[in-house]
Amino acid sequence: MATLTLSGLTARYDRTTALHGLDLEIADGEFFVLLGPSGAGKTTTLKCVAGLIDDVGGEVGIGGRSMTGVEPYERGVAMAFESYALYPQKTVEENLASPLRSGRLGSWTPAQQAERIKQVTTTLGIDHLLKRFPRELSNGQRQRTALGRVLVRPADVYLLDEPLSHLDAKLRAAMRAELTQLGEMSDTTTLYVTHDYQEALALGNRIGVLRDGKLVQVGTPEELWTEPADTFVARSLGQPEMNLLDATAVDGVAKTAGGVEVGVPAGVSGPVRIGIRPRDLTIGTVGAGGSADGADRLTIAGRVVLAERLGRAVELSVDAHGDRIIVVTTDQKVHEDDTVELSVERSAVHIFAAAEPGQDSERIGAAEPIRVAEVER
Amino acid sequence: MARELRPGQRKYSPGSIAADAVLVGWFIFSLFPLVWMVLLSLKSRSEQISTYFAFTPTLENFGTVLSDEGTRLTSVNFTEALLTSVINCVGAVIVSLVIGIPAAYAAGRWKYRGSNDVMFTILSFRFAPELMVIVPLFIIYNQLGIFDTNVGMIWVLQLVTMPLIVWILRSYFQDMPAELEQAALLDGYSRKRAFLMVALPLVRPGIAASALLAFIFAWNNYVFPLILTGSRHTPVTVAVTRFLGGGGQAYYNLTAAAALIAALPPLLVALSIQRYLVRGLSFGAVKS
Amino acid sequence: MTLTATPGKLERTGPPVRAVPPWRRKLRPYVLSLPAVFLIVGILYPFGLGVYYVFLNYAAQVPRPVLIGLANLTGVLSDAAFWNSAGFTVLYAVLATVIETVLGVGIALLLNRSSLIGRVLERVLILPLMIAPVIAGVIWGLMFNPQFGVLNYVLGLGSTFDWFSESRAMWSALLVDAWIFTPFVAVLVLAGIRSLPREPFEASEVDGASWFTMFRRLMLPMIWPYILVAVIFRFMDSLKVFDHVFVLTAGGPGDATRTLQIGAYQNSIITFKYSIGSTYMFLLWVIVFLTARYLVGVLGKAQRRAAGTEA
Repeated sequence: MATLTLSGLTARYDRTTALHGLDLEIADGEFFVLLGPSGAGKTTTLKCVAGLIDDVGGEVGIGGRSMTGVEPYERGVAMAFESYALYPQKTVEENLASPLRSGRLGSWTPAQQAERIKQVTTTLGIDHLLKRFPRELSNGQRQRTALGRVLVRPADVYLLDEPLSHLDAKLRAAMRAELTQLGEMSDTTTLYVTHDYQEALALGNRIGVLRDGKLVQVGTPEELWTEPADTFVARSLGQPEMNLLDATAVDGVAKTAGGVEVGVPAGVSGPVRIGIRPRDLTIGTVGAGGSADGADRLTIAGRVVLAERLGRAVELSVDAHGDRIIVVTTDQKVHEDDTVELSVERSAVHIFAAAEPGQDSERIGAAEPIRVAEVER
Repeated sequence: MARELRPGQRKYSPGSIAADAVLVGWFIFSLFPLVWMVLLSLKSRSEQISTYFAFTPTLENFGTVLSDEGTRLTSVNFTEALLTSVINCVGAVIVSLVIGIPAAYAAGRWKYRGSNDVMFTILSFRFAPELMVIVPLFIIYNQLGIFDTNVGMIWVLQLVTMPLIVWILRSYFQDMPAELEQAALLDGYSRKRAFLMVALPLVRPGIAASALLAFIFAWNNYVFPLILTGSRHTPVTVAVTRFLGGGGQAYYNLTAAAALIAALPPLLVALSIQRYLVRGLSFGAVKS
Repeated sequence: MTLTATPGKLERTGPPVRAVPPWRRKLRPYVLSLPAVFLIVGILYPFGLGVYYVFLNYAAQVPRPVLIGLANLTGVLSDAAFWNSAGFTVLYAVLATVIETVLGVGIALLLNRSSLIGRVLERVLILPLMIAPVIAGVIWGLMFNPQFGVLNYVLGLGSTFDWFSESRAMWSALLVDAWIFTPFVAVLVLAGIRSLPREPFEASEVDGASWFTMFRRLMLPMIWPYILVAVIFRFMDSLKVFDHVFVLTAGGPGDATRTLQIGAYQNSIITFKYSIGSTYMFLLWVIVFLTARYLVGVLGKAQRRAAGTEA
């Protein structure tokens, strides 16, 4: 139960730099999620906090105390490894007892140990596996055992590395719901790593998006969703990814090659990108062509090029006079070659700075209404 | 009951019977000398020069080899030679383990400057011509007064046991995920306790296999004791050859009995670690 | 299903938190390797001394040896006996390696079929390898004996056939060498074959490839690294062969089987010319070192190729 501070944290493996100066303050009891693609440095960050990486610059502070040079076993952190790291020669019960028996985390009588292990394994639904060895468990059971070895013990900070990644979809959803409760119950500062944006949004008090060893944005789930700092954060959240349309802004209006026009914040001109989430778009089958800019909604007409049915939802690829837009709809009646009219709330249309294809660029703001005087029809 | 065929395997055919015949041929060639050694060791003094397979077996040769009679004939006490071999080999293996396990662990766990130099220097001992070292050692040992002693042999046998143990164990330590020990550290165990609790038990098969293999090769070594021991601390490999030319007289039956006694320990050890043998023989290069 | 009790506040019961300076962290592997380094020094010292002897006129007959520069090297290198010895050593090593590799690979392929007989015989395959080479030499020496040996009797060669005549001695020594070390190649290659993936072979069988095509195009490239490991070990060991050849022939007849190590033994231990013996060994060491570097390079390339990272 302590705060966790990273200041200017850098880490190197051999000759490559894995982390480029992370700065982060995590409050006591906070559930903080690090989100990022593989290779972004998520696990490295956890290991730096745990003191498992030697070539580290900057500082890690736990409970206001610098951990520089402090051995892992004296840091008071518990970690669930993505590889589980269960002791293969010990049973589930012995694996969970290991931290209680080390003598550094409080004195536990055998009866207290057994009781504590019973509680945790019951919660995790692995209490019937106590006498099994890790090799006799499924991946999901191993993962829960690894999580159990963390939850069973007191710690200042919990470090959880993709603790749900190997569970099947159903169990993952159940565990996700449960983890929030566990987190609140034990009130321990938690740093949680995942590549799954839904997990991040569901669990995190705050989320940090990590990319190539740098923190791109830190904020609450709402902040990250409504005001992503750049196209990388925007694309990281949501599936399918946000549509990005290249446009050119002239006199407060950005226009794409296909003729989509939106108002941009004052002072913006030149090339920009327009970002719209596929699920923010709604669909109508009005036959009208061109794009219209209503009072608070932006509408775009186009033709359905591809309709991929994914059960409840349908993923459409719409060609709007050359702009390719992905839409997700629950309307099952849409077919390929239909002409459709897409509409989106203007506040859900993001304007980003321009960049080369494949490059990420910063967010400028949300779309604004086009001031009538400036529109030439 | 149809077993799945492995790569290159074929079902039964005239060709496979021929293949079995070739195999049987090889194994007759391979086992005949061993069988002959056993037969010869059971022959009496009067029958030792016969080449017949039918004879009256006797165990008296083993008694002779291990008694004063054998000592009189060869000027080497074979019982003491056995003891010397055990002391030398066990001693050499223990020294190699004590020195080698930390080094193998360091090399398998961390990349540090000079790590490869240390490892390859140790490996080069395995391939260095023995006499390059023995001749100077012969002179050094005489100066230090450890010529013909167990201490001297244990020292020089490190050339045999050390590369084997360090290289095999390094490959075991490399195979063990570092995160297991990291988990132990976070569980509150010191590095020493994490090593003892997690790493050591996991490489125990490797330690046992490499130690026993090192024992075999130390036992079988000939050229070091040939030059660096006299008559007091002679190991069995040298002692066996003494039966060949004792004063112009040949004792073939006694030689065979001595050879059999000397060959048994490594054979038994080898059969017990057969599963780990390939990895050991190739210094960890081939894992099976 | 929620946790009913929190693990409680962390109360540190171990020793107080202390920081370890980075240099101590960095030092850890060195501290662990230190005993090994001491041992290395203990071995390298006599090695260095041996190299030093090359430049001395050291012998038991010379009470006060002095530096004589390269005289030993030039002397040995212009001595026909050395070249005879070196030539024999290399020839022996090449022949032993080739014979044992061919036989070993063949036996591995036959054993891989896992016939009933093969599975029984596989268990005793390594026995000759585990016997001390010197004892193997002793046993074979008894069997080779023209009058009392069993070989001439069994093979019907009479009592005058001499296995160690000048022209036959090398082949007899090679026979023993192959008896001891062929299993070494066989077990390594067999382990290699057994580690191969099954799918390419099934696919090629479906394609109707003949056994030989399958072996040459598929298996051989894949087990090549294993064969090379065996070849490296066998060749390097054969270059410094001593034990069984020494008890079988002591380098004779004449100097027909005088390997470089036997030559060094004769010079250093029999005639006490330490410097000459050391020069022999120094030159052998150079040969071994250069061969090792070359072969390890070839092995690395083959391993990368088998792993598919190099065309």
